[in-house]
Amino acid sequence: MNDPVTFEDLATLMKRRAGLAVDPWEMESRPDADFADYGLDSLGLLGIVSELENRYGTSIGNNPETCRTPHEFLDLVNTQLTLGA
Amino acid sequence: MREPEQQEPQARAGRRAVVTGLGVIAPNGVGTDAFWKAVQQGTTVLGPVTREGCTELPLRVAGQVNDFDPAGLIESRFLVQTDRFTHFAMAAADLALSDAGLATDPQDPFAIGVVTAAGSGGGEFGQGELQQLWGQGPHFVGPYQSIAWFYAASTGQISIRGGFQGPCGVLANDEAGGLDAFAQACRSIRRGTDAVVVGATEAPLAPYSVVCQLGYPELSLAQDPQRAYLPFTEDACGFSPAEGGAMFVVEEEAAALRRGARIRAVVAGHAATFTGTGDWGRSRQGLARAIQAALAEAGCSAADVDVVFADALGVPAADQAEALAIADALGPHAADVPVTAPKTGFGRAYSGASSLDAAAAVLALEHGVVPPTPNITEVRHDLDLVTGHPRQLRLRTALVLSRGLMGCNAALVLQRAVDDRP
Repeated sequence: MNDPVTFEDLATLMKRRAGLAVDPWEMESRPDADFADYGLDSLGLLGIVSELENRYGTSIGNNPETCRTPHEFLDLVNTQLTLGA
Repeated sequence: MREPEQQEPQARAGRRAVVTGLGVIAPNGVGTDAFWKAVQQGTTVLGPVTREGCTELPLRVAGQVNDFDPAGLIESRFLVQTDRFTHFAMAAADLALSDAGLATDPQDPFAIGVVTAAGSGGGEFGQGELQQLWGQGPHFVGPYQSIAWFYAASTGQISIRGGFQGPCGVLANDEAGGLDAFAQACRSIRRGTDAVVVGATEAPLAPYSVVCQLGYPELSLAQDPQRAYLPFTEDACGFSPAEGGAMFVVEEEAAALRRGARIRAVVAGHAATFTGTGDWGRSRQGLARAIQAALAEAGCSAADVDVVFADALGVPAADQAEALAIADALGPHAADVPVTAPKTGFGRAYSGASSLDAAAAVLALEHGVVPPTPNITEVRHDLDLVTGHPRQLRLRTALVLSRGLMGCNAALVLQRAVDDRP
């Protein structure tokens, strides 16, 4: 089984794929904040999904690229990765 | 700019477009002051192509922008999704906006538009992603490939970054696009937009882009930087490419005056023609026609032209056609008017070349100086090409010429707002 993707992992990906400096603790403590609030656009999120899929060697179902918030995204991704494991 | 009333019902009479801001990123200088100092002194910066992946290619001489660190100028969220040509555009736009003292008004985001021209697009970014595609597979191509290589990228990113939601556009019009972009900006201003961020930048010195250019018979493959780009001479052997360009703030004159902006030049007239590829001789008629129409729009006679910034391709047939076009359009004045081509010192940045010429023209008008044409000594055409040293002259009207390798010709007339000639 894969380790879950954490807010810290997500912050690292947001920096690498979209050039955004985001505090993982802030993301974790603000469940209602949108990706847009952190400056992440839809292409940026798509790049993060691709990188996770490449890393875990599996396709992540249920359209993670349509998630609105970091919390929603990590819930979906971790559920899908657990199912796929 | 030359559109009949009936095609433009919303045109408002008397809305004149003026330049209030300049931003230059050029091989011979980053920033307007550094650029003008080098242009005025005729500094030569053409040199070996040192970019990674380019050094084994047959192109040996070009004008590289070496003193440019995008990370210090542009936020990383814009850097990751853009090519070098857009880094130049965003940085030059910042310089132009700062020069003009202009920023978007959150209450009126539609007052400012953006127009850029591009001929090369984001070749370096695109190459990187294509290498991912063939090296690792489709899933390793980043999503920003969909926008970064595209000609329209600079307009879009400048608009997003600055919050400029007025009319936006991009011209993929060959080298001449750098002048045609002014015409597009003037159209927006006549239709009611207060200001347009306008210009052109290019970054064609990356391996894929250089390989594409090797197909141009006009490209100079000469080895010696002092001999590679010698337009209007017996030794003309093509042109040396360059990167960089210039961005401007063009504003409606009354709006600019209301906010106390410094008016650096008036965009007085423009016209464009097309004469196709394969025969530079045909550009004579097209360029002459563009000059005549641009002067007519500016309300100028041939004798009013105080300086000509030549296209100066460096191909004998093209140089001959340009000299004849100037003679056809300006008549006897063609033999007297000072002609210059500062780009022989730093190369031709495709559509950025004509925007750099427009920047040099604005600065020449302001300083009363015609800059020299570096590296040129013996001129074989009947032109008063300014060589060696800059020439001090009171200037009111500058004519900027451009031709593209694909057959576009354009002429732009820039004027000082005040006539203080003796």
